[in-house]
Amino acid sequence: MSLVELQGIKKFFDNVRAVDGIELEIEDGEFLVILGPSGCGKTTLMRMIAGLEKPTAGQIFIGGEDVTALPPRKRGVSMVFQSYALYPHMNVFNNIAFPLKAQSREKKYDKRAIRDKVENTARLLEIDMLLDRRPRQLSGGQRQRVAIARAMVTQPAVLLLDEPLSNLDAKLRANARDELKEFQRSSNITAVFVTHDQIEAMGLGDRIVVMSQGKIQQIGTPQFIYDDPANEFVATFLGSPSMNILRSEVFSFGFRPENFLPKTLADNPENSRIFHYYIKRVEYLGSDRLLYGYVHGHDNELTLAKVPSNVRVALDVDCDYEFAVHNSDIKFFDRQSGQRIEQQNLQGVV
Amino acid sequence: MALLIWILQNFWSLLVLSFATLVGLRIAYRFRKYGATRAELSHILRRSPFYLVVLIFCFFAAAPFMIMFLHSFKVDGDLYRRPQPFVYRQDPTLEHLESLFTNTAYLDFIRNSVVVGIAVVIITLILALPAAYALARLTGRWGERAGILMFLVYLVPPTLLFIPMFRIVVMLGLKDSPLALIVVYPSFTVPFSMWLLQGFFKAVPPELEEAALVDGFNRVEAFLRVVLPLSLPGIISTIVFTFTLTLHEFIYALVFITNTSRRTLSVGVPTELILGDVYFWQPLLAAALIIAIPVGFAYNLFLDSLVQGFTMGAVKG
Repeated sequence: MSLVELQGIKKFFDNVRAVDGIELEIEDGEFLVILGPSGCGKTTLMRMIAGLEKPTAGQIFIGGEDVTALPPRKRGVSMVFQSYALYPHMNVFNNIAFPLKAQSREKKYDKRAIRDKVENTARLLEIDMLLDRRPRQLSGGQRQRVAIARAMVTQPAVLLLDEPLSNLDAKLRANARDELKEFQRSSNITAVFVTHDQIEAMGLGDRIVVMSQGKIQQIGTPQFIYDDPANEFVATFLGSPSMNILRSEVFSFGFRPENFLPKTLADNPENSRIFHYYIKRVEYLGSDRLLYGYVHGHDNELTLAKVPSNVRVALDVDCDYEFAVHNSDIKFFDRQSGQRIEQQNLQGVV
Repeated sequence: MALLIWILQNFWSLLVLSFATLVGLRIAYRFRKYGATRAELSHILRRSPFYLVVLIFCFFAAAPFMIMFLHSFKVDGDLYRRPQPFVYRQDPTLEHLESLFTNTAYLDFIRNSVVVGIAVVIITLILALPAAYALARLTGRWGERAGILMFLVYLVPPTLLFIPMFRIVVMLGLKDSPLALIVVYPSFTVPFSMWLLQGFFKAVPPELEEAALVDGFNRVEAFLRVVLPLSLPGIISTIVFTFTLTLHEFIYALVFITNTSRRTLSVGVPTELILGDVYFWQPLLAAALIIAIPVGFAYNLFLDSLVQGFTMGAVKG
């Protein structure tokens, strides 16, 4: 049975459909990432799971119990906010102990028990030497750990994380990502992580939910979503640089720049499609060469190719080359709806 | 006593002397730190016009206090002899200060003002804290309009309201009692404080309360444990300003209370020490000075947060 279940969740602000009919099941112990561009409703969705917003329609179940009408404190969830929302007037110890103090009315923690729990959690996150400091005396990375410690100390059923890495600088972020994943795995907690950063999503998620315009576009493992996008939006949103989309009369087709290689390098050219590719510009990115150009017959659709630098093939600007894409790497989409079309359904058209 | 007389008689020379000493010490300090070089000298010369202007403004700000102070100790003959320079030509006297405390109900006035002030502050906080929080957080577009509407109440002057208010006070049987003021003053202190507090509450990020909600508290607890401690400086300055509002209120205090010993400072002092066109200048000035000094200190201490409170609400609104 899944731990969290969302059924037909909708949220309208005046006439804006922020979240528009979400069906989602979150499994116990998994790391679920909700990925989408800003304004796609992902944060609103998370706030509804937390109980900070009331859904316009639909039901939320946590641990089998309908919590739709319950306030946040009765849901057994905890949350790490984007700004961390540490209480500036309390030191780190009291910040972490704050949720325990709330619980102690029912569970009767004494001071000793609170101290033990706080210190254990702090040790786990390696912030036990900071317990006397105030939040403003901490670095960004330390604040983030305190926020996670505060969310973890009560051992909640679900940990909600709202872009917790976006306030860290790029160097720290990779490190924090790794530690967060490690921490989630070792503590076996169920985490829901909201982000607009596809690298974070791909790196952290057991499963990714791609959202756009208040709707779920696709759910699946990072690999599955990357390789088998359900529609044009998912195809172009994931991947950097994003998938090339070329349009023909009845359908569009797309292929990823890293699968678009000179014909001489193709594994089995007989199973590939050959394009005449005109190179307009070349960028050297160290490990790769990024080519900007046009495929013959699609002169208005900029097409990118990403060729590893260690492939020593001469690729010059203002020249035509034969490039190949393996047939299985070409994805077809309906021109109107943008939905994926299976290749066998296109026999005769291609 | 002799020292006081000596200070008063040499007031101006002492003032100039102490100022000159301060300037001298400052220059000596800089010379010790940076050396008595030509560059240092020109630095001092360059900066001196700035400090001169500051000095002039300081003088204008402090002059009323100095004049009140000087005149409080003059004998009548010295005070009324023209031309009136601010120096002592006859010996200073404490007689007027004595008569202020013994012949008038000055101590009663102070007590009444403090009692009324504290009671009004408490009532105001009880009403304005939740109202301001609601305006800052829990309402949409109408919240702001309601806030502006309530602030408009503050703009209706007591000169328009004192007659109907008087009838209400009589009806309640509170005439001639400081209770009348305690009941009526919140009519202007509540909107004022509410507006001020709203600005401070808006400065507390909503995420902090949401964090408290998720951490297991309800909204009232979140308010008490997170919002209130964080806006404590704002609340303290609101208390100071509410208190001073009640301290200088005149019309209600004049109309509602006729019994001398039940009057507050703002009415008691002028009615007791001005008889028709006779002004008892020395005790009058002393009475004003004695309350002006603590209020002035408190006000200046919190002036920044007052301005902050109003502008925070305005900018973030």
